[in-house]
Amino acid sequence: MGQTTLQTDSDPQGHDGAAVQASPVTIDVNQFGAGGKPLHVKSESALQDAMRRLVRNKAAVVGGSIIIILYVVMILADVIAPYPYAKQTLVHQNSVPQWLLNVFPTMQPYAQVVNDYILGADYVGRDLFSRIVYGSRVSLIVAIIGPLISLIIGVTYGSISGFFGGKVDNIMMRIVDVLYAFPSILFIILLMAFFRSTFARPDPGTFTYYVSQLDNAMGGMLFIFIGIGMTAWMTMARLTRGQVLSVREKEFVEAARALGASNNRIMFRHILPNIVGPLVVSETLAIPGYISTEAFLSFIGLGVNPPTPSWGSMISEGAQMIRTYPNQAVFPALALAITMFAFNFLGDGLRDALDPRLRGTQ
Amino acid sequence: MRSKFFMITAALIVFSMILGACAPAPAPTTGPQEPIVQTVIVEGTPIVITATPPPAEPPAAGPKVLNYPTGGPGDIPTLDPSLASDTTSVQVLEETFVGLTRLDETTLELKPGMATWESEINDEGQEVITFHIRDDIPWVKYDAVSDSVVQVQDCEGNVRMVTAHDFAYTFLRTLDPATGSPYAYVLHGIVGAEEYNTADGAPEDVAVEVLDDYTLRITFKQPAAFNPFIAGLWTGFATPKWVIEGDDCNDPRGDRWTETGFNQSYGPFVMKEWIHDAYLDMVKNPFWPGTEAVPVPKIDMVHYVMLDAPPAFAEYEAGNMDVSNIPLADMDRVMADPTLSQEVNIGPDYCTYYLGFNTKAPVVDDVRVRRALSMAVDRQALIDNVLKGGQEPAQWFSRPGLIASPTMETHPDLGIKYDPEQAKALLQEYLDETGQTADQLQITYMFNTSAAHQRIAETIQQMWADTLGITVNLVNQEWQVYLDTVKSEDTPQVWRLGWCMDYPDAHNFITDNFRAGGSANPARGGVPYGGVNWVNEEAEELMRQAMIESDPAKRVDLYAQAEQILVYEDAVIIPVYWYTSVTVTKPYVTRTFGVGGQEHWEKWDLNK
Amino acid sequence: MGRFVARRILYMFAVILVVSAITFGLMHAVPGGPFEREKPLPPEIIANLEKRYHLDEPLLMQYGRYLYEIFIPRIDSNRPGLSLENDFLINIRLGESTWFHWMNFGPSYSSRSRTVNDIFRDNLPVSFQLGIMALTVAILLGVPLGIIAALKQNTIFDYFGMSVAIFGVSVPVIVLGPLLIWIFGVTLRWLPPTGWGSKPPYVMGVFPSTMGWDYWKHAIMPAVALGLGSSAIIARLTRASLLQVVREDYIRTARAKGLKERLVLTRHALKNSLIPVVTVLGPMFAALVTGTFVTEITFGIPGMGRYFVTSITNRDYPVIMGTILLYAVFLVVANLIVDLLYAFLDPRIRYE
Repeated sequence: MGQTTLQTDSDPQGHDGAAVQASPVTIDVNQFGAGGKPLHVKSESALQDAMRRLVRNKAAVVGGSIIIILYVVMILADVIAPYPYAKQTLVHQNSVPQWLLNVFPTMQPYAQVVNDYILGADYVGRDLFSRIVYGSRVSLIVAIIGPLISLIIGVTYGSISGFFGGKVDNIMMRIVDVLYAFPSILFIILLMAFFRSTFARPDPGTFTYYVSQLDNAMGGMLFIFIGIGMTAWMTMARLTRGQVLSVREKEFVEAARALGASNNRIMFRHILPNIVGPLVVSETLAIPGYISTEAFLSFIGLGVNPPTPSWGSMISEGAQMIRTYPNQAVFPALALAITMFAFNFLGDGLRDALDPRLRGTQ
Repeated sequence: MRSKFFMITAALIVFSMILGACAPAPAPTTGPQEPIVQTVIVEGTPIVITATPPPAEPPAAGPKVLNYPTGGPGDIPTLDPSLASDTTSVQVLEETFVGLTRLDETTLELKPGMATWESEINDEGQEVITFHIRDDIPWVKYDAVSDSVVQVQDCEGNVRMVTAHDFAYTFLRTLDPATGSPYAYVLHGIVGAEEYNTADGAPEDVAVEVLDDYTLRITFKQPAAFNPFIAGLWTGFATPKWVIEGDDCNDPRGDRWTETGFNQSYGPFVMKEWIHDAYLDMVKNPFWPGTEAVPVPKIDMVHYVMLDAPPAFAEYEAGNMDVSNIPLADMDRVMADPTLSQEVNIGPDYCTYYLGFNTKAPVVDDVRVRRALSMAVDRQALIDNVLKGGQEPAQWFSRPGLIASPTMETHPDLGIKYDPEQAKALLQEYLDETGQTADQLQITYMFNTSAAHQRIAETIQQMWADTLGITVNLVNQEWQVYLDTVKSEDTPQVWRLGWCMDYPDAHNFITDNFRAGGSANPARGGVPYGGVNWVNEEAEELMRQAMIESDPAKRVDLYAQAEQILVYEDAVIIPVYWYTSVTVTKPYVTRTFGVGGQEHWEKWDLNK
Repeated sequence: MGRFVARRILYMFAVILVVSAITFGLMHAVPGGPFEREKPLPPEIIANLEKRYHLDEPLLMQYGRYLYEIFIPRIDSNRPGLSLENDFLINIRLGESTWFHWMNFGPSYSSRSRTVNDIFRDNLPVSFQLGIMALTVAILLGVPLGIIAALKQNTIFDYFGMSVAIFGVSVPVIVLGPLLIWIFGVTLRWLPPTGWGSKPPYVMGVFPSTMGWDYWKHAIMPAVALGLGSSAIIARLTRASLLQVVREDYIRTARAKGLKERLVLTRHALKNSLIPVVTVLGPMFAALVTGTFVTEITFGIPGMGRYFVTSITNRDYPVIMGTILLYAVFLVVANLIVDLLYAFLDPRIRYE
């Protein structure tokens, strides 16, 4: 079998993949393949193979299912949440339901018991559960947009740099280094300060007006996404480049080059599939980073506009209450942790499934 | 290859050991790692980490040390009397220096500090105050070598006493445009001061005159009850010119004169060590003779720690702090705790929290809308459910307790109160007249980024929605941008600010803020352009009269009339609440409770 | 190799130029100035202050002045430390009254008796010590955890280890800090809830002058709180990388040669699996030293991290410039070290 590829180009050297893989050192039969098969069949089966192995990985399936459920909850927030996220009942501030008192008995002496709210109410009497449900929007969208931007820009950039090496690498990496040399969190703070003040109350009809209207409609999320997106891809570019640097010296790449494979081909068929594991893992690992960036911005007051909820802002508000009303920090943190677990297990599963050398195995 | 690998790994870890001065590496847990770590230890031995032994711990019993947190994040901004403008800086200054006059921190009574004084009105209607300064107060500094407080000597070896020259030097230094003092404006009532500070005036024309070594005469433009207060503010504490500018036997230290090692002062405490962002230690000044207003301190040292409120309270609970504020988040728990609740004290704090209207902005340019919004704020509910610090619902701006400020006892019905029915009626009248519905009204409520302000904003937003059906748009900006916005031509419709006293007089509240050109009502040539954007001739006249009036009862009455215009008739602001300070104190501390933001530790004692 | 390093150091100056230019432009583009106050200053006083700090000059001239103060060394007879305007980071005594001065980062606007250099001297060592300790915690926890998980792939060890790692990364310091303080500081009273165990002056400008239990007890909680998130990243990277490496051809070859499993792992697999881990160490260290705002506020530590945030909110221009340039230099050096480590770890990578 050949390499993982989604390419269906009719490159006349289409059989090289298999030939290269059969380097003299290799003794794994799985890497020899039916090189004569038509290419599209090969790649289809490779995908199927990956899917098959992904589905066999229980942890990944559980992770994937949780993520699907989370996104369904996010979309159906209006249906699922018992209260609007901004609905206050002042007299019910910091109230907890009876069952929570049994879980956290330290609250006994002072907590007000109101059973209307399944996870309790916050400091102005808003239903915590509803806010967690609505708050998933920010975190789950950041969890998509962060990796997306970072993968698209970072991997393209890093692999070009690492692959061509020499002058190209030098120039491209120097550019990244310069951008990278900005502390990203500071860069975001400066950007946010700039956005928030420049776009505060512009004249109707101008471009800034529409952007700020969009941001307002999103509860202040737009600028967070832009800020995180603009600083996220550099890490990925460096990591990709480092991986490419190390893989491109490997025997099978040299062999492919010796056989006259095109750059595109070597890149997509030989190098990328071999480095995708660490990249996916690194990206799933970066998701908590994006989400905690949002939480940090909330902590210093540059997060979403109140009363729009986000897990980050709920955790940073709840953290101050952790001794008095632990439920206000624990449940948003739990929601965050579950999301992290799910993304991580799915990421691991993807890595295993996409690893070309595991092809055909369990 | 193997040895190289081990070498690198070893070097890496040893490197980190040196840098971090790491403890011996913990035993490895995995098989494969074992040899690596052993190599590390073998290769690590030649590196000698030199460490000096820790200094001897101070004896457990003996000196009385008060552990006191700042309660806010970050360093003390400055210890220079000419530059200070915040409560933590002033706290240290008031304990290391003493002004010409001294405010009693609990009663807000004015007492002699470094001087007694007499006042007279001259031919031009100006108030001339003559200060007779004590002649028994020496300049002192902490000497690290002998670990004690020593008297400062001049170049001839004589003890330097605090003189009128030292006070005059500070007044002029504060006013010097080159100093860039943020608080110089409080001295603008002195003849010639404003001209020197902000225009082309000469320092010689500032009416601060040294009559002899221990007599100082200050002339104020107008007579006012608060003139002696102003003379005693920290902007006029004596400062050591020979340290700042240098002389025959001292290097000039410039702005660095406040740092550890250079600092000189004369108050009941002396700064010993200032570790930036960590703590500031002050020791008792044995040369302070003790006066009626400033007694000899009973405690030997104050360990003033720079800690934000939550960690400070944790330290208090751990028994390492003697006093702390209570973070809002911990309030319910503290009040229910049998021990902690006994240690709580809620006292007044002379500050007012308010929302301002830009009275020229759409919708809120109609007084009925403003009054309706003000009446729809249920201040008591906000205090009981959200603020929880026993604050008082504010009916007007100048905090009761200030000199010349109305009080709830004398003026129970003054100002504005929560009245949902009348609020609805007022708004309906406006809506009918303009043919709109409540949900069509577009109002933006802006606040500076902070969890506390956000809570208040969210609560008031909901109150307005429930009572009036108006949903305001909440916008927050970070502090520096926010201040710029609130005082610009483009001031938002509704915004928040708070005000704390500089000196205890209603003038410092209503007049300093809301006269045309006041702090919250910036103006150019008498025409307001931002803030509340408001001018009312009647109110201006009332405030002017109240300033120069000498009969205390009449002053209260004049200010009450002005307040009524401000908060009810014109409804320019929504007074929300009057602050309290909520503290816990260990039972072994004998203390007083300051109401103006500062504590006078020389009156405290520890009975551990 | 020598030329490579020399070029990179030269290039570092280019980075500083670009970074400083962008930062300078951005910070002046953000509205709000350093002298806005709740009790506003009269315009005349603001004008005075601006003149004092040369803020009334055209931006380009201010930038030029800044670069001049930082880059151009001077030899004169001024003794160091006397005035705020002429406080240099590097002062070398050449003769009786001759001094070599270099790098003046300017005065702080909000801390009026200090310069940016003072902040570097007093606060950076604390952040540096904390960063090193957090990195040590991260490596000591992360690498073994990752190795166990990889060697026992898909067993209970793997799942448990990775759960610990994910937990570590998903509980932010905002929650972990107060929790640690509550448990170990307030309830058990084993460790002091806040504070730092060393103070200036520092040995060689970096190291604490005393290192007894009194020093360490202050460091444990913040180092763990700060390092835990990073240890999770290291653990997962180690695991992923090791899993990949053990399937490499040379490992099979090594096994086929009949080498003992332990030797295969230590000589071949571990080393190569650490390459991606090393990649992240540089930036991670820089982030640990500078990204300590929350940790510092939570544990009351007099470090540098707070200045990264407060300088921006205060519009303290010299401190913003100083901290961002510091971070930039830090990162460039860290990455240079990482690149050199690459060459050692993977002999196929060569720099010329």
